Parts: sequence; structure tokens; C-alpha cells
Amino acid sequence: MILDRIGRLFISFLASIGNLTLFSIKSLAAGFMPPYYWKQILGQAVQIGYFSLPVVGMTALFTGMAMTLQCYAGFSEFTAENAIPSVVMIAMTRELGPVLAALMVAGRLGASMTAEIGTMKVTEQIDALTTLSVNSYKYLVFPRILTGTLLLPFLVFIDDVIGILGGYLVGVYYLNFNAANYIRNTFESMATWDIVSGLIKGAVFGFVICLMGCYQGYSSKGGAEGVGRATTNSVVASSIMILLLDGILTFVLF
Amino acid sequence: MEYVIEVENLKKSFGNKEVLRGISLKIKAGESYVVIGGSGSGKSVLIKCILGLIEPDGGIIKINGKDTSKMSQKELFKARLKCGVLYQGGALFDSLNVIDNVSFGLIYGYGMSQKEAYKIAIEKLESVDLDESVAKIYPAELSGGMSKRVALARAIATDPSIIFFDEPTTGLDPITSGTINDLIVRCTKEMGISAVSITHDINSLKHISDRVGLLFNGSFIWEGTNKELMSTDNPYVVQFINGNAKGPFTEK
Ligand SMILES: Nc1ncnc2c1ncn2[C@@H]1O[C@H](COP(=O)(O)OP(=O)(O)O)[C@@H](O)[C@H]1O
Ligand SMILES: [Mg+2]
Repeated sequence: MILDRIGRLFISFLASIGNLTLFSIKSLAAGFMPPYYWKQILGQAVQIGYFSLPVVGMTALFTGMAMTLQCYAGFSEFTAENAIPSVVMIAMTRELGPVLAALMVAGRLGASMTAEIGTMKVTEQIDALTTLSVNSYKYLVFPRILTGTLLLPFLVFIDDVIGILGGYLVGVYYLNFNAANYIRNTFESMATWDIVSGLIKGAVFGFVICLMGCYQGYSSKGGAEGVGRATTNSVVASSIMILLLDGILTFVLF
Repeated sequence: MEYVIEVENLKKSFGNKEVLRGISLKIKAGESYVVIGGSGSGKSVLIKCILGLIEPDGGIIKINGKDTSKMSQKELFKARLKCGVLYQGGALFDSLNVIDNVSFGLIYGYGMSQKEAYKIAIEKLESVDLDESVAKIYPAELSGGMSKRVALARAIATDPSIIFFDEPTTGLDPITSGTINDLIVRCTKEMGISAVSITHDINSLKHISDRVGLLFNGSFIWEGTNKELMSTDNPYVVQFINGNAKGPFTEK
């Protein structure tokens, strides 16, 4: 019984991975072929880059602050307070920057992508694109995947900077660290690879979020309720994928 | 005789639910063919198969004499530009205003400049009794009748040789329905465009059809001309036209 269920779950999991792969190949193949829909691509870039900044920035700021406080609580027992700036630096650039930015973007952008495309699907707007001779993968999916992949690293970088700044604010103004020392410690522990690896993670997460957002939108069925369900699926699936891939990527990159 | 659309033995199932069980259909140039049938009988699926939006399980579909399954992707997209579609809910693009909706196929399909396309789009809007004043309005702000008109203008913008109407008057009041019917007749008869329509609206049916097919249980159980429709004693047709609760439709 249980084995049967697990087996069936596993097969449906493999099937969805297969469908997702097919979907991404279709979209990329369509997107890289001219003509290019620059207007669409630019529009998405504004959506993803500009409108995500406030949410991403806020979470980074508070996470940086909270982490510094937590580290202080732990490290002061061993009089290791001096390690705080570098721990914040490493944690932000390698882990928290990419993961937090990705989770926020999945919740904000991935969801709205699914809702938008799902609505287009159930109201036959995607069919209308096709009958007006536009490849919907090229027009809808590719611009989102492309800009998501290219711009998430940018958001991650902003996230890193703001998170570290948050740590600095708490460290210097609340925990009374010496400002010059804090800054020096921060920069001394800065490593290019930490930052770059975080940006790579960001790109992968961006691809996954947008791919999943579009895929779930295309799979929407049966009216508003179906779109709602697809939206939930999209956020849950991309969040799980982000955390799963974060584990795998951390393993691969370090 | 030249046929714009030929469908032979078309089959389509979803899962184990057989929706179309071997449909054959021929539509002559300039003819207005209307498909009637109960909700969920597969009328929309039929036209989506013809348009290549749904892949059929079997059968042959020819548009203007060409087998669509043998067309390349490019040819298929080109053939589709010659097919205008008025979707059930209008399917106007929410993110674009009226003029961008109407000129969409001209710009993306025919590669026209925006200026050229807008000029034609305004002509098309005028031919459905709208004018420039609606050009910048977004679909969400249009009334039901207006959005049907805009959708119709978009459908005829690319100068199609065939138009598909999926329940063009469903959800409209009788008067607005009447004007949409008139527009359909104008677009088809005066411009000589062939039409395949789906409707539940008997009034509309009398108005716009040359020939009618009644879809039931996955195939046409009756086909005939507009005149024959009114005089036939086929129990299915009689029940459908009169809207009787009792009859062969509702029997198990
Ligand atoms: N993409 C699809 N997947 C599964 N079932 C579908 C799909 N499209 C249509 N159907 C089913 O096919 C049947 C016919 O649908 P449709 O052609 O839309 O009916 P109608 O005659 O009212 O236009 C319905 O029962 C519908 O549930
Ligand atoms: Mg229908």
C-alpha cells in the first residue's frame, strides 16, 4: 500500500520534472530565435528589478540586523565579538542574500506571474495570441525567464549590501562596536568567490522561480479557482526548489 | 466545389472521456456554418482542433485545401492569420488597450509599422460601429457589448478568409445580441468571409446561419440548411430549438 503510494508519487514527480524540462526547452528555443520582443523583455525587467527592490531590501535589512544581534548573544560568551562582522558578511553573501531574495521574489513575482498567465490561459488569451500568429512561449515565457535569470543576481547583490549595512547599524549604534574596526573586519573577510557564488545561486533561483511561475500559469484549468490553486502551487513549488537547490549548489560550489 | 475547411473523421478524447467521435465537416467559401449543441458537447473543442490549438487524436483537417498536420510551424502561423477568431469571453489582452488589441495581429503577424496598423485598426473599429474615442481604453473598462465589438474588430483586422465565432451573443442582452448578429452578418456576407459559429441563441442561429449542424454525443446527429432547420421533425432538433425539457437529449 505505502510502497504503491510512494511509487506513484515518485512517478508523478518524474513526470512533472519531464514536463517542466520540456516547457523550458520550448521557451528557450522560441525565445532565442528572432524576432525579439524587446518591449516585453524590458517590461518584465522593470517588474522584476525595480518593483521587487523594496520588499527585498526590507527583508535584507531586518535579517542583517537580527543576525548581528543573535551572533552577539552567542559570541559574547566566548568573547569572540570580533568575528561578528565576518560571520554576517559570509552568511549574507553565501546563503541569506540569495535565499532570502529568491524566497521574496517567489512570493511576490512568481505568484503574480502564475496569476497573470493563468488568467490569460483560462480566458483564452493565450489561444488568442496563437491565432494572431504569436508564439506565446516567446511572448510570455521567455521574457520572464530571461529577465528573472539576469536580474535576480542583481537583487541578491543589493540584498547582500543592505543586509551587511543592517548588521553594521546594529553593531555600531546598538552594540557599540567601533565603527572603523567593524568596517575593517567586514572588508577583510570579503571574498570574491563568496559573493560570486551567491550571485550564481541567484541566477539559478531566478530561472527556477520564473520557469515555475509560467509553467504553473500554463497548467491552470477551470476558471478563477484553478488560477488560485496554480498560484499556490507555484509559490510552494518554487520555495521548495529554492531550498533544495540551495543545498545542492552549496555542496557543488564549495 | 472549393472548400475553405474540410474535416474528416476528427477524434478527440480527454483522458477516457470521448469528446469528439469522428466528426466530418465541409465548409464552402462564403458559407456561414453554425454548430449547435448542449453545453460541454465539444463545440469549442471542435474549433480549437481546426485551429490547431488542441491536438486531435485522429482525423484530417484541411484549411484552404491544405492539410494542417503537414504544415510547418511557420505555415501554420500564417494560415492562422487568415482565420479570425472571436473567443467565447472575447479574450482581449488585459494588458493592452483597445487599439493595441485590434492592431496586434497586424503588427506581430504582418510586421506592419505601428502607424500603419493603427490606421487599419481604426477603420476596423469603425466597421463595428466604434470609433477612435475608445482607442486608449483598457478591456476591463469596456461593457460586455463593447468588448465583443472590439474582439470582433480584432478578429477581422487581419482580413481573414474564415472567421470562427464561439458563442458571440452569450451573456449579452437581447438588443445587444441583435446588433452583434447584424455585425456578424455584415462581416461575413458583405465581406464574403466564411464563418463557423457556435451558438445556443436560436434567434442568432436563424439570423446568421446558412447551414447548421447539431452536435450530440461527439458527432453531428443532424445537418441541414437554415430552412430545413425550421421545418425538420427530427426530434433532437425540435427539442433543441424549442428548449423542451423532455426529449431525446435528456433521455438516458
Ligand atoms: N483542455 C481540456 N482538458 C480536459 N478536458 C477538456 C479540455 N477542453 C475541454 N474539455 C472537456 O471537453 C468537453 C467539451 O468542452 P467544450 O468544447 O468547451 O464544450 P462546449 O460545447 O460547451 O464548447 C467538456 O466536457 C470539457 O470539460
Ligand atoms: Mg464552448
